[in-house]
Amino acid sequence: MPTDTPRRYEISPFTRWVDRAMQQFIKIGGISIVTAVFAIFIFIFWQILPLFSRAHVSPSGSWAVPPGDYITLGADEWSAMPFLLDREGGVTFFRLDEQATPDRQVIPIPVGETPTAFAYHAKRQEIVVGTSSGRVLVAELGYEAKFESGQRRVNASLRTLPAVQVGLTGHAVQLADLDGSGAQRLAAVVQRVDGTNRLFAAVMTQRRSLVGGGAWRVEKPFDLSGELEGEPVRLLVNQRADSLVVVTRDGTINYFLREGDSLTLRQRWQPFPDTPGAGLAVVDFLFGDDSLVVINEKGENRIYSLYEQDGQGRLFGRTKEFPSLATLPAAYSKSLRNKAFLIAGEKSASLRYATTETVRWDGDLPFGVKLAFIGLKYDGLWFLDREHNLHRLALDDPHPESSFKAFFGKIWYEGSPAPKYEWQSTGASDDFEPKLSMVPLLIGTLKGTLYAMLFSVPLALLAALYTSQFAHPDFKRFIKPTMEIMASLPSVILGFLAALWLAPLVEQRVPSFFLMLFLLPATALLFGAVWNRMPYHVRRRIRQGHEFIAIVPLLALAAWAAWVLGPVLEQTVFIAKDLSTGQPVPDFRLWWVQTTGLPFEQRNSLVVGFMMGFAVIPIIFTITEDALSNVPPAFRSASLALGASRWQTAMRVILPTASAGIFSAIMIGFGRAVGETMIVLMATGNTPIMDFNIFSGMRTLSANIAVELPEAPHHGTLYRALFLGALLLFLMTFFVNTLAELLRHHLREKYKAV
Amino acid sequence: MTSTLEAPPAEDIVIDVRDISFFYGANKALHHLHMRIPRRQCTAFIGPSGCGKSTFLRCINRMNDLIDGARMEGSLLLDGMELNSPHVDVIALRRRVGMVFQKSNPFPKSIYENVIYGLRIAGVNNRSVLDETVERCLRKAALWEEVKDRLHSSALQLSGGQMQRLCIARSIAVNPEVILMDEPCSALDPRATSRVEDLIAELRQEFTIVIVTHNMQQAARVSDWTAFFYEGKLIEFGATQQLFTKPASQQTQDYITGRFG
Repeated sequence: MPTDTPRRYEISPFTRWVDRAMQQFIKIGGISIVTAVFAIFIFIFWQILPLFSRAHVSPSGSWAVPPGDYITLGADEWSAMPFLLDREGGVTFFRLDEQATPDRQVIPIPVGETPTAFAYHAKRQEIVVGTSSGRVLVAELGYEAKFESGQRRVNASLRTLPAVQVGLTGHAVQLADLDGSGAQRLAAVVQRVDGTNRLFAAVMTQRRSLVGGGAWRVEKPFDLSGELEGEPVRLLVNQRADSLVVVTRDGTINYFLREGDSLTLRQRWQPFPDTPGAGLAVVDFLFGDDSLVVINEKGENRIYSLYEQDGQGRLFGRTKEFPSLATLPAAYSKSLRNKAFLIAGEKSASLRYATTETVRWDGDLPFGVKLAFIGLKYDGLWFLDREHNLHRLALDDPHPESSFKAFFGKIWYEGSPAPKYEWQSTGASDDFEPKLSMVPLLIGTLKGTLYAMLFSVPLALLAALYTSQFAHPDFKRFIKPTMEIMASLPSVILGFLAALWLAPLVEQRVPSFFLMLFLLPATALLFGAVWNRMPYHVRRRIRQGHEFIAIVPLLALAAWAAWVLGPVLEQTVFIAKDLSTGQPVPDFRLWWVQTTGLPFEQRNSLVVGFMMGFAVIPIIFTITEDALSNVPPAFRSASLALGASRWQTAMRVILPTASAGIFSAIMIGFGRAVGETMIVLMATGNTPIMDFNIFSGMRTLSANIAVELPEAPHHGTLYRALFLGALLLFLMTFFVNTLAELLRHHLREKYKAV
Repeated sequence: MTSTLEAPPAEDIVIDVRDISFFYGANKALHHLHMRIPRRQCTAFIGPSGCGKSTFLRCINRMNDLIDGARMEGSLLLDGMELNSPHVDVIALRRRVGMVFQKSNPFPKSIYENVIYGLRIAGVNNRSVLDETVERCLRKAALWEEVKDRLHSSALQLSGGQMQRLCIARSIAVNPEVILMDEPCSALDPRATSRVEDLIAELRQEFTIVIVTHNMQQAARVSDWTAFFYEGKLIEFGATQQLFTKPASQQTQDYITGRFG
C-alpha cells in the first residue's frame, strides 16, 4: 500500500496514448518527406542514366547463304527480308523466320546488255544499275506487307524503270550513281573510252502522265571528263541532286556542284594530306548528305562537312577525327535514322556517331566481314562473312546522339563554321541533328537570375532596412502583409504583364527607363540632404518614421520627369542611321545595334529583370525584414546610447547581426529566380543564346522544360535531356542552398546574440 | 515636500531638473520632478518597480525618444543647456551622457571593437588613438588584466560580470560627462556585483554617475546622494547617509525598512 502512487498523480492513459501516437505520426511524416525528396532525385537520375550509356550489341542469329559473288547487303525497313546483291544483278531475298529457300530474282536488264555497276540507296530502296552500253536504270525493291492467317508476311519484288542513256553508247559503265527527289534526278556514270576515263552526268526529269509516274528523260547532259584527273574509284550523287563527288585512286576527292544549268568542279582536296599515298577505302555520305565519312587504307577516319568558308561559299572542311581502325576497313554502312555509321574491319567492327565524335560500340567478331549493313530502324547490325554466313546482331542504342560532350561540350554541327554550344532540339527535316547542349540553358538561367537579382536585391534590402529600422511601426504593420500578398501573386500574371504590357513599353522608352534608374536614387539622396538642412518647424510637420510621405510625391515627379525626358535624351544622344533612307534618326534600338553590334529584342533581359525581380522582391523583403527585426533591441539601444545615428546603428550593428538571415533571404530569392518558369517563358523570346547582352532574351532550364515538354516523346532522347535539365536545376539549387546554409551557419556563429 | 529636498546645497550642479513631467501617451509617468544632480558624485535612484526612476533616467539622455507617443514636459538643463528642446542634437547629447543598461549588451563584435564603437562612429580611425583608448578604458573598467590577451576575440565569450564591465568601458571610451546606469548589477552574481560596485566607486572620481537600483544596500554603498521615487513622484532626495538613517518622509522610512516595495 505505501508504494502505490496516489490516483491524483496518475497520468491518464489517453494522454499517454496521444503522446505516443503523435510521436510516431511525426516520425513517419518526417521520414516520408525525406524519402520522397530522395526518391524524386533518384527517379530523375534514373531517367537520365541511359543518356550516358553506350550501345549494346548482342548476337541474335546466323544463317548460311548460297555461295555467290555478293557486293551489297541490304534489308527492308523492318529487317524482315534482308537481301544480297551479286555481280550478275541477282537479288537474293532471305526469309529468316521460316526455313524457306532463298528467293533469287534478277534485275531485268534490256536485252543484249549486262549490268556492270551498282549503287544501293536504302532510303528509297533502289538499286542503281549501270549497263554495258552506257545506260543507267533504276530497280525498285518492292516490299509488300500482307496479313495471312493473322501473321504479317512481307513479300519482295523487283521493278525496273526504263533505262536512260547517260554515258556514251556502247561503252560499259564502270561506276554509276543516281539520286534526287521529286521529279528531278541527277545521274552520273564513269566509263572507260579508248583508254581514258570519262565522266558523264545528266539531270533527268520525269514525265508526268495521268496514270502516274512516267519515263525518265534526260533534261541536261554534262560531260565532265575534262575536269577529271586520275582514275575514278567511287562516285556519289547527293539526295538534293545538286552535287557529285568523285574519288580517284590517288586519294583525291572532287566535289562538283550544280548551280542552275551548270555543273562545275567546286573543290578538289586530299582528305589525308598528312599521310600521302594512302588510297581511300571508304568515302560515303552521312545521313543527310551534308558530310562525307572518309577512311583511308590505314584505317584513319575523318569527317568532312559542308559549311560556309570565308569568302568561298559552302565547301567541305574537316570537322571530326575519329580514332583509327586497327585493320583495313572491309565494309561500311551508314544509318538512315541518325548520324551513325558502321565500319567493319578484318574481324572487328566499330559503330560511330558523327555528331558527337564518339564510338558507340567497338567489338571483336568471330568471323571475317565481307559486307555490313545497319538496320533501317537502327535496331540491328547485319554482317555477311567470307564463309557465306549472314549474321544478325541486335543493336540497343536508344540515345546515340547523346553523350557528355553533346550536353556540356562544344560540338561542330553540320553546316556550322565552328564548334559551338547550341540547343535546338527539333528541326524541319528528318536528317536534322538534334542540338542538345545544356550550356546555353545554364547561361540563360544564370543570365535571367542575375538581372533579376541586380534589380531586386538592392531594392528589397533597402526596403526591409527602411521598414524595420526607420519607418514608423504603424507603417510596418501595413506594408509587411502587403508585401506578403505580393509574394503570392501568381507568376503567370507577372509574365503576362511583362510580355504584353511592359515589353512593348520598355521597347519604346528605353532611355526613359535608364533615366529613371539614375533619377530616382538621385532624387532620394538629394531629398535626404535637403531635408536635414530644413529648419525644425518644417521638419516637425512630419513625424519621425513618416518621412516617406514627403518623398513619395517627389519620386513620382522624378519618374514622370524621366519618362518625359527620355525621348529628349534619345533625340540628343542616341542618333542612329536609318537603314532604309540613310538619314540620322533618334532611335535607341537602332543606336544600340549599330553602336554595340549586339541585337535589340523586345522581349529582353531588362523586362525579365524587372518582372522576375518584382516576383523575388517580396520574398527577400519579408525574410530580410524578419531578420532585421529579430536583432535584439538591446543592440540598438546600446548603439544609440553611444551617440550613433540611426544609419550608423543600422549599418554597423543591425546589418552585421542580421547578416545570416539576410544572406539566406538573398539565397532563397536566388533559388526562386532560378526556378521561375512562367515569367521567363512569357517575357523572353526563349532563344537559347549565349550572351549577357541586356537587350536580348534567353532560355532558362525551367522554361526549356515547359517549352519542349509537348515535343518530347516518352523515353526519347529529348525527354531524357529535359530530365537532365531538371537535374541540373535541382543540383544548382541544391548547391546554392548548401553553400548558403554553410555560410549562414558561419555567420550565425559569428554574430550570435547573447 | 519635494521642493525642500530638490537640491543638495552649495554643490557643483551638472543636471538641473525643473518641473519635469513625462507621459506615455495619455498615461502620466512622472509628476513635476525637481532635482539637482551634483557633478562627479554618485546619485542613486531607488523606489519600487514602476515608480518612474528608469523613465526619468532615460529622460536625461533622451532615450525615451525611441518610444512612440512618449512626451516630456518641463525643463531639464545639462550644464545650463536645455535638453527638452527639439533643437537639441540628440546624438551629441548621448555622447555627453553615456548609459549602461540593466542587461549587459555588448555588440557581437570583438572586445576591442566594442570598446571603440563610440569612437568609430565619431569617425576616429587613428590606430594608436584607438589602441590607447582600449587599454585606458579597459584598465578603468578593471577588465584589462582579464582580457588583454584576447582583445580580438568575441565579446560574447565573456562572463556576465565581464560583459557588464565591458559595457562600462565602452561608455567611458567617448569620455562622457555623465554615466547613467540602469540597474547595472541586477543580472550579476554577488561577486561580479561587488566588482562593478568597486568600479563605480572608482569612476565617480571622474564622472557624474546616476544609478538606478533596486538594491538598497547597493545604493547605500556606492552613492553620495539618493533619491526615492514613488508612483512617479520624487518623495525624498538627500545625502545617502542621511536618507538611510534619518529619512524625512514616512514613505521613505517604510520603503527602506522593507514595509513595501
